[in-house]
Amino acid sequence: MKENRIRILYIDDEVHNLNAFKASFRRSYEIYTANSAQEGKQLLKGIDVHIIIADQKMPVSTGVEFFNEIKDTLPDPMRILLTGYTDVEDIIDAINKGHIFSYIKKPWDEHELHKTIQNAYEIYATRKQLKEKIIELEKINDELNRFIYSTSHDLRSPLMSVLGIINLSRLDNSVTDPNGYLNMIEVCIQKLDGFIQKIIEYYRNSRLDVEYEKINFDHLLHECISQFKHQNTAIEFQVAVDQPVDFKGDTFRISVILNNLISNAVKYQKPDEVHPKVNLAVKVEPHKATLVISDNGIGILSEHLNNIFKMFFRSKNNNKPGSGIGLYIVKEALNKIGGTINVESKYGEGTQFEISIPNRNDFDS
Amino acid sequence: MISIPDLRVILIDDNEVDLLLHEKLIAIQQISRTVLAFNNANKALEFLSSNITLPRIPPTIILLDIQMPEMDGFDFLEAFDSYPAKIKSQCHVIMVSSSLDYSDISRTYANPMVVKLLKKPLLAKELTSAVAEIFRDFS
Repeated sequence: MKENRIRILYIDDEVHNLNAFKASFRRSYEIYTANSAQEGKQLLKGIDVHIIIADQKMPVSTGVEFFNEIKDTLPDPMRILLTGYTDVEDIIDAINKGHIFSYIKKPWDEHELHKTIQNAYEIYATRKQLKEKIIELEKINDELNRFIYSTSHDLRSPLMSVLGIINLSRLDNSVTDPNGYLNMIEVCIQKLDGFIQKIIEYYRNSRLDVEYEKINFDHLLHECISQFKHQNTAIEFQVAVDQPVDFKGDTFRISVILNNLISNAVKYQKPDEVHPKVNLAVKVEPHKATLVISDNGIGILSEHLNNIFKMFFRSKNNNKPGSGIGLYIVKEALNKIGGTINVESKYGEGTQFEISIPNRNDFDS
Repeated sequence: MISIPDLRVILIDDNEVDLLLHEKLIAIQQISRTVLAFNNANKALEFLSSNITLPRIPPTIILLDIQMPEMDGFDFLEAFDSYPAKIKSQCHVIMVSSSLDYSDISRTYANPMVVKLLKKPLLAKELTSAVAEIFRDFS
């Protein structure tokens, strides 16, 4: 139990005060005493105390001066000032500068001093706990960083080797594969890689700092479309960008949002649709941008609409492969940049997502 | 086909499968007849330093992986930077990686010794055009 006792250093030039303090409190606390600031400093080099009580009126250096001197090297212990006079100026100054937890008038009231010590220790312990938690969280954070780095490398690297082998076997025609097994392997690998990439995307969204830069939506939309166009060449893309003013936003997150929504619009088309369409409309205003992504695809069952932004939710009424993480990432990315999303859908007719993103352009500067 | 007569390719990758893949790819695309494969960046540096005594250094493409144990691609570049200009001027580094890590990617582009970054799996077309691009300026 001895380690858990509150350790107190009491500094006072009057020896009888030191003795009286010891007599009153030695049963409750582990007490160290010093009769000058100098001696106190010596003692502090060897002992880790929780609370320091110092008399204000001492020769050579006063209590406030002493606290001031040690505040940088020993920021943790709680400081209590004892003073016989009401040196209001000194005390107000010291407390305002944040070096002192409390002050006690001399002669002290035992009960009051006891309570002050308890309160001080409570704050000391809470601060210490907080510090330990921060260190622990930093460690976990760091581990997560390394985990994601190795996920992106250690998991993907062998997958990319397999894809490389498949490519090579086609180049040198060394494998006879009448049933198209290699193609099937390739499709599976790409699906798995797509999922790994989604996980990395999710992770990057949750930990990367938000950065605002100028965005040209016409550019960005066409970049996104070019990524997905080849998946279904029958789709007609209509892009309408109305951007009369500059827009500033987080490029990474906005492209993550667009990529996921456009990818869905391309993926969830009706197989028998003669004119599959994806419409993209952007309207930029000084305070926000509104993006509308609509398609004439399979649509979403109305009872599923409330769940589509949940992690790993997948609508059952389609045969399309999905990870169930895309729209969740969209929602998380929007949360990071203060945007909102609305969805309207009619099963069998199509889906429309409307997104609103604040414009971080400061027009006056 | 690329017709640089004595062009050689140095492969640096800890993944043996990728070394083999890249070697085959270079052979099929007839990029070079001399391919030197190293599964560890240190060995490649040793080899390059043994070249110092050669009267003439042949034009060299280095396909360099980023993530490797012990010495990674960036460590290799740092060490190689101290080599004599006689060798460095003949070596063209193409980094090859499956990395999606943006800090890796931007570090690659920031390095003046790196001509290009290619993603794995390495595609025949991309490799050939990257090599052609390098030597267009020299022929």
